[in-house]
Amino acid sequence: MGGGEKPVGAAMNPWGIFSTTVAWFILLFLMLPSFVVVPMSFGGKFEMMFPPTTFDTILYERFFSTGNWIATTITSFKVAIGATVLALLLGVPAAYGIVRGTYPGKKIVALFLLSPILVPVIVLALGMYLYLASFKATGTDFGLIIAHGVLTTPFVIVTCMAGLRHIDPNLETAATIMGASVMQTFFKVTLPLLKSAMFAGGLFAFLMSFDEVVVAFFITEASTMTLPVKMYSSIKWEISPILAAISSLLTFLSLVVCLIGAAAQKKS
Amino acid sequence: MAMVGLQRAGKRYGDVVALHEVDLSVEEGEFVTLLGPSGSGKTTMLNLIAGMIAPTTGQIFIAGKDATNTPPNKRGLGMVFQNYALMPHMTIFENVAFPLRVRKTPEEEIKKKVAHVLNLVHLPQVANRKPRELSGGQQQRVALARCIVYNPTIILMDEPLGALDKKLREQMQLELKRIHTELKITMLYVTHDQEEALTMSDRIVLLNDGRIEQMGPPEEMYFKPRSVFAADFLGSSNIWDATIESDGGATIKSGDKVKIKSEAFAKPGAKAKIMVRPENINVIRQGDDESRFENRVSGKAIDTLILGGVIKHYVQLANDTVIISQELTRSGRRSLTPGQDVRLAWRPDDTLPLPATGKMEG
Ligand SMILES: Nc1ncnc2c1ncn2[C@@H]1O[C@H](COP(=O)(O)OP(=O)(O)OP(=O)(O)O)[C@@H](O)[C@H]1O
Ligand SMILES: [Mg+2]
Repeated sequence: MGGGEKPVGAAMNPWGIFSTTVAWFILLFLMLPSFVVVPMSFGGKFEMMFPPTTFDTILYERFFSTGNWIATTITSFKVAIGATVLALLLGVPAAYGIVRGTYPGKKIVALFLLSPILVPVIVLALGMYLYLASFKATGTDFGLIIAHGVLTTPFVIVTCMAGLRHIDPNLETAATIMGASVMQTFFKVTLPLLKSAMFAGGLFAFLMSFDEVVVAFFITEASTMTLPVKMYSSIKWEISPILAAISSLLTFLSLVVCLIGAAAQKKS
Repeated sequence: MAMVGLQRAGKRYGDVVALHEVDLSVEEGEFVTLLGPSGSGKTTMLNLIAGMIAPTTGQIFIAGKDATNTPPNKRGLGMVFQNYALMPHMTIFENVAFPLRVRKTPEEEIKKKVAHVLNLVHLPQVANRKPRELSGGQQQRVALARCIVYNPTIILMDEPLGALDKKLREQMQLELKRIHTELKITMLYVTHDQEEALTMSDRIVLLNDGRIEQMGPPEEMYFKPRSVFAADFLGSSNIWDATIESDGGATIKSGDKVKIKSEAFAKPGAKAKIMVRPENINVIRQGDDESRFENRVSGKAIDTLILGGVIKHYVQLANDTVIISQELTRSGRRSLTPGQDVRLAWRPDDTLPLPATGKMEG
C-alpha cells in the first residue's frame, strides 16, 4: 500500500461527479428564466432585450409611480395576508384534530380536508366561482380570500401535522395532569411548540396566494385584480417591459420570504 | 386516610384485558411500588388513577372521594414521566411555575415556592436554563420539583429512572427516598426493576398479567413469596419440583429429602415446588460444623462466578438438578474447582414450599 491514503469519501467516484454536475445543470436550466428577467428589468423602457443595452431603473420607477399597479399590489398583499390568516385559523385546529384526535373515521376526515390538493386547480376555480357567485361574492377581495383560503389550508394542515408529530404527547398529558384545562394546554404548550411549523405553513400559504393566477382570474374583476392576474391580462395586449421589473420584484419577495423561513427554522 | 383507592377497577381493550378487576389502596405518606414484567398492566393502572383512561369496570377514589368520572386536570395529582416531559420552550423556572400559573397563584408566591422546591432538589442555580441544557438526572429532578411545588394528593411515577444509567439511577433512588421521607408525600412508583422496588418501597404491589399477584412490604415479598412467580420475580431463587412427604418433609427432584417450613396447603403426597434463596445455602468447607443446618446435600461443583461483592457457586445434584449458593466475597475464600465434591447445607426455615401452579391463599 502506498503512503497517501485519503479518508473515506474524500474523493468522489466518477459517477458521483457526473450526477452532481447533471443536477447542477438542471437546476441552472430551471432557474435561468428568473435570472434572465432581472438584468432585463434594468434595461431601457421601450424594449425587452437580453442582454440589455443600457442600465436604467426607469421600469421600477414606472411601477412605483403607476397608481394602477400599486393598487393591484396592495390588493394582492391584502388577499395573501387574509388567505394566510384564514388558512392558519382553519389549518392548525384541523391538524390538531387529525393528529391528536381518536375518533372513528379520522382518516376520511383527513382525506377530505386535504382534498383541495388533489383536485385540479381549474376545477376548484370553477367550483369556487359558481359557489361565490351564488353569494354575489365574486369580484370582491373577501371572495378571493375565501377561495385562496381553501386552496392554501391543506398546505398549512400538512406542515402543522408534521410539526405536531414532533411534539411529545406526554407534554400535553403532563400539562393536563398538572391541572391545565384543554384550552390552557393548547395555548400554553401545544401552540408555542408548533410556532415554527405554523410560521413555515403560513409563509407557504402567503406565497401561494400571492402568485396564484387561475383561481384569482376566475374570481376577480377589473377593480379587484391581483398582481399576477393583471400581469397576465396586460401581456395579452402588449408585452410591457414593466413586467420584467414586476417579475424581478416577485422573485425578490419569494427569496426574502424563503430566507426568513429558513432563518426561523434554524432558530427553533 | 387512603389517598388513592381502586375498587374492582379493570380495563379491557376489546378482547385484551389490560387489567383485571383489582383492589388497591394507598395510604397517606406511603411509598408504593407497582412491580411487574412488561405488559403486566402497571402503566394501565397508573393511567386509570391519573384519569388518562377510563376504567371498564369499578371505581377510583382519590382522597376519599369517588373520582371515577373526574377529568384528569381536576384530580389534583402529580406525575413524573420516564422522558421527563419538561416543556422545551420554557425555562426551568417557568416549567416549575407552570402548575402554579394554571392555578392562578399570585406571582410573589410563585417565586417563593419555585425557589424553595429547586433548593429541595439541589438545583437552585438552573432556574434560567432551558431543559435541554440539563443532564438527564437534573431534568428528572426538575420534573419532580414541578410535582412537589403544588402539593398534589399523590405523585405517580412511571419508570422515572428508566432512562438513566445505573450509577445515576442509584443516586436518584436515594434522592427520591430522601424527598419522600422529608416531605411525607404519597408516592406510587412504577418499575420493572425488582431491586429498585425492594430498596425504595414501603409496600410492593406485584402485578402479573393484569392481576395483583401479591402485595406487601419488601421483606415479606422477598422472604414469603406466595407463588413461584413472586419467588422468581423478586431476587434469584432455587426452585425445584418436589413431593410432600407424610412426615412434613419433602423429596426434591434430585431425590434428596429436606425439611421444610410448614404451610397449610402442603399436604402429604401433594406435588409442590420448593424454594430456597441462594444466600441461605451454605458451602460446607473443612472444619465447618454442618450440624446446625438440618438440610444437607452433596453434589459436584460446576462453576463459580465472582460478581463483585458476592460470589455464586453452581453445584450439580443428581437428576439434572442445579443448586445455586451465594456467599459474600472474602479474600482468601476459595472458588470451587469444577468437578470437585461439595457439601451444601441450609435451614428448614429457609425452605419454602410453594404451590406447583397458582398461588397460596390467605
Ligand atoms: N391502547 C391499548 N390498546 C390495546 N391494548 C393495550 C393498550 N394499552 C395497553 N394495552 C395492553 O394492555 C396490557 C398492559 O399494558 P401496560 O402498558 O399497562 O403494561 P406495563 O406493565 O406498563 O408494561 P411495560 O413495563 O412494558 O411498560 C398489555 O398487554 C398491552 O398490550
Ligand atoms: Mg408501562
